[in-house]
Amino acid sequence: MRNLNLYFLTRLSALAGRLPARLISLVLATGLGWTLAQSGLDRLQLLAQQRYGQAASETVASWRQMLEESRALPDDDKLKAVNQFFNRRLRYSSDQASWGMPDYWATPLEFMGRAQGDCEDFAIAKYISLLLLGIPNDRLRLIYVRARFGANATLNTEAHMVLGYYIDPAGEPIILDSLLNAIHPAAARTDLTPVFSFNSQGLWVPGAPSLGADPTSRLSRWRDVLDRIKIDGIQL
Amino acid sequence: MSLVKQLWLTITLVMLSAFGISLVVNVYSSRQYLEQQLQIKNVDNATSLALSLSQMEKDPPTIELMVSSQFDIGHYRLIRIVSPNGQVLIEKHYEGKLADVPQWFINLIPLRVQNGQALIQDGWKQYGTLTLASHDQYAYQSLWDGTRQLLLWFLLGGLLTGLLGMTLLRFITRPLLDVVAQAQALAERRFQTVKEPRTPELRAVTHAMNHMVGLLQSMFAEEAQRLETLRDRVNHDAVTGLANREYFLSQLGEILSGEQHGSSGSLVIIRLEDLNRLNDKLGHQGTDRLLKSLGDLLHDGQQDYAGRLKGGEFAVAYPSQDSAAQAAQTLHARLLRDWLPQWQAECPDLFHLAAVRYQRDQSLGELLAQADQALAQARGKGPNNWHAPEQGRTKLTIPAEQWRALLADAIQVGRMSLLFFPVVKGAQGQLLHREGSLRLQTETAAPLLTAGDFLPMAAKLNLTAPIDLEVVRLALNGLRESRGDMAVNLSAESIADFSFRKQLGELLQTQPTLRARLLFEVPEYGVARHFEAFQDLTQRLKSLGCRVGIKYFGQDFLESSKLASLGLDHIKVDPGYVRGIGAHSGNQEFLTGLCTMAHALGMLVIAAGVEQVQDLPLLEQLGFDGMTGPGVRRTDPA
Repeated sequence: MRNLNLYFLTRLSALAGRLPARLISLVLATGLGWTLAQSGLDRLQLLAQQRYGQAASETVASWRQMLEESRALPDDDKLKAVNQFFNRRLRYSSDQASWGMPDYWATPLEFMGRAQGDCEDFAIAKYISLLLLGIPNDRLRLIYVRARFGANATLNTEAHMVLGYYIDPAGEPIILDSLLNAIHPAAARTDLTPVFSFNSQGLWVPGAPSLGADPTSRLSRWRDVLDRIKIDGIQL
Repeated sequence: MSLVKQLWLTITLVMLSAFGISLVVNVYSSRQYLEQQLQIKNVDNATSLALSLSQMEKDPPTIELMVSSQFDIGHYRLIRIVSPNGQVLIEKHYEGKLADVPQWFINLIPLRVQNGQALIQDGWKQYGTLTLASHDQYAYQSLWDGTRQLLLWFLLGGLLTGLLGMTLLRFITRPLLDVVAQAQALAERRFQTVKEPRTPELRAVTHAMNHMVGLLQSMFAEEAQRLETLRDRVNHDAVTGLANREYFLSQLGEILSGEQHGSSGSLVIIRLEDLNRLNDKLGHQGTDRLLKSLGDLLHDGQQDYAGRLKGGEFAVAYPSQDSAAQAAQTLHARLLRDWLPQWQAECPDLFHLAAVRYQRDQSLGELLAQADQALAQARGKGPNNWHAPEQGRTKLTIPAEQWRALLADAIQVGRMSLLFFPVVKGAQGQLLHREGSLRLQTETAAPLLTAGDFLPMAAKLNLTAPIDLEVVRLALNGLRESRGDMAVNLSAESIADFSFRKQLGELLQTQPTLRARLLFEVPEYGVARHFEAFQDLTQRLKSLGCRVGIKYFGQDFLESSKLASLGLDHIKVDPGYVRGIGAHSGNQEFLTGLCTMAHALGMLVIAAGVEQVQDLPLLEQLGFDGMTGPGVRRTDPA
């Protein structure tokens, strides 16, 4: 059934390829957008099945279900649902353990496929999920933080990444952390010191050609992962 | 359009499209590269500036200073910080412009680069969004310079390729031009072979054409060989190889009345003493050997005519020898030295020799009678003796040293004139063209000198070239005042002179309408002696639209393949074959064959030295296209 759906959509998009651009944009604007996004997620699920097997496919299926269920919820609940999904379902491990290299930024597909990842993978997956749930990009920030932990908190510090959500653009964010299941406002996180934040603004231009259009994007870790996310089938 | 032009057009089009496409590709790939570079710079610089600002105190002067120092020293068009509320905190703009790049170029090939964006943190709070745009003028400048340089190189490359292409094309098409020239030559009935080119297609064509030309040439050669044999058989004595009586008398008649030689000369007669007794003594074969050795000796001369008149009677005409005594003495001495000793033992009383001087227009019978008389006197002097009667010199005599002045004067003052003789077509006497014959008026009231009188002297003095040029000038003047075509003679010495040929070409160049009505004729012995020069002359004259022919044709008989390669317009057959044609069936056959061959080569055949009007229908029947001579009178009005 899923495959049939995919087939149908492929035909449809092939057909759309021949339609004038204006008509396509009109159709996209009138609600086919979600359907296309769904078709992308179908592809994502298919890839998970092919690349990582049944367990991964199930993870993606339940991720999609979670997204489906959270769609109508207020933003607070969306944050909780997404945070809980990833923190509970997926295991934290270092990049070296997961990917065999010191620092690797995984796409949500890769993350869910391996069912483990480090703080960046969590932050990115949550960021993408929230964007898929319709949270505006300018409210979300991936934040580099210095984390202190343990008894001697001033000595044991570590580079860490969290996702911040700004309800008020001028105010402080609430923090989605891979290490804590609960979501806390930034003020409550005295163990974290923010260093720098970023999101996909100015990089991920809606409608811009994605695949390999600009080879330099491979050279930036952040642009590269954004590109790979697109290739995986996630349409934003 | 010619093939070469079409090839050129194709090459140009291909080159233009190749260059054009590579230019466009090059410009577009440069643009893409520049866009990427600008993009990366925007993104990276925005990030690093935002990172620095994130780490700092957010007091406005510090921020301002940071941004200013980055902006003022770096190459930026825009740096702007907008607070999360949308309030612009800092904005820096710089509209520096590089004057070189024209606006149309920027409009034609715009660089589309996104601004770099990054976020500035203030603790957990957002301080603002940093937008940064590098200046793109230098990129435009580099794109513009690159494009111009590329164009320049393409122009240079195109020029070089063009030159190379021109050379190559010339190289490739040269055999083609040869083939075309050969085809054109064939159309003009010039049968030339050309070198076979290496290109297989052209080689096949050339090979076929060469083969055909070869066949035709061998056909002509066979025919010419046949005609030559026939001519020799009917006009020459079988034993001695000298001219037979009929042919010799015909030649002598032409010498006496024609234009070719001077007005006086000597005739030497050698008579063997009683041929019958010789036959008895030496036997038939021995007598033949004796006759043959005499014939060989007499044949030796260059500018003279020898013939066997009767069984034991031989004659030699010396048109350039004015003194009969000298002619007799010279020949007699040679006979005594080279011939007599072999035979004297058996026949001590072998021959006697007489010489007489002749005048222009003297009758043949009278001359032979005089010779007979002189022979009798020689016989009276004893065995193997000679006699030459002293005769009053009636011809005007000009010392050799005065000739130069006289001829040079004649050219400058204009004492030369052309006398015109008609050349008619067929028995009806329709005018074909007029033949101009040169006459010279000396200062004294003496009669006009004919060409034969002074041209041999002019040749000795190297003056034929200016004389012939003057002849052509006179002919051009004559053409201007009359209608119809005109033929003039060029002497053998003139055509061998390169500067004469050049001057003649230049002279004719000035007369584009008149020169087409001009025919040039060169004596056959001149053509044979200076063949390459004649070939060059023919090409020059024909390219100017003049017609070219050979005069006195048939004596030396030009090699037929050479004749075939010339593409001549006409030949004038030597009067020696034409005189008395009515009674000479052998020459009739020979001339019929000659006409057929000449027609096959695309030449008109004209009979010269026609003596009687009655001969005209016969000559026409033999195949002659035109006739001239004392017997020809024009019937149509001038």
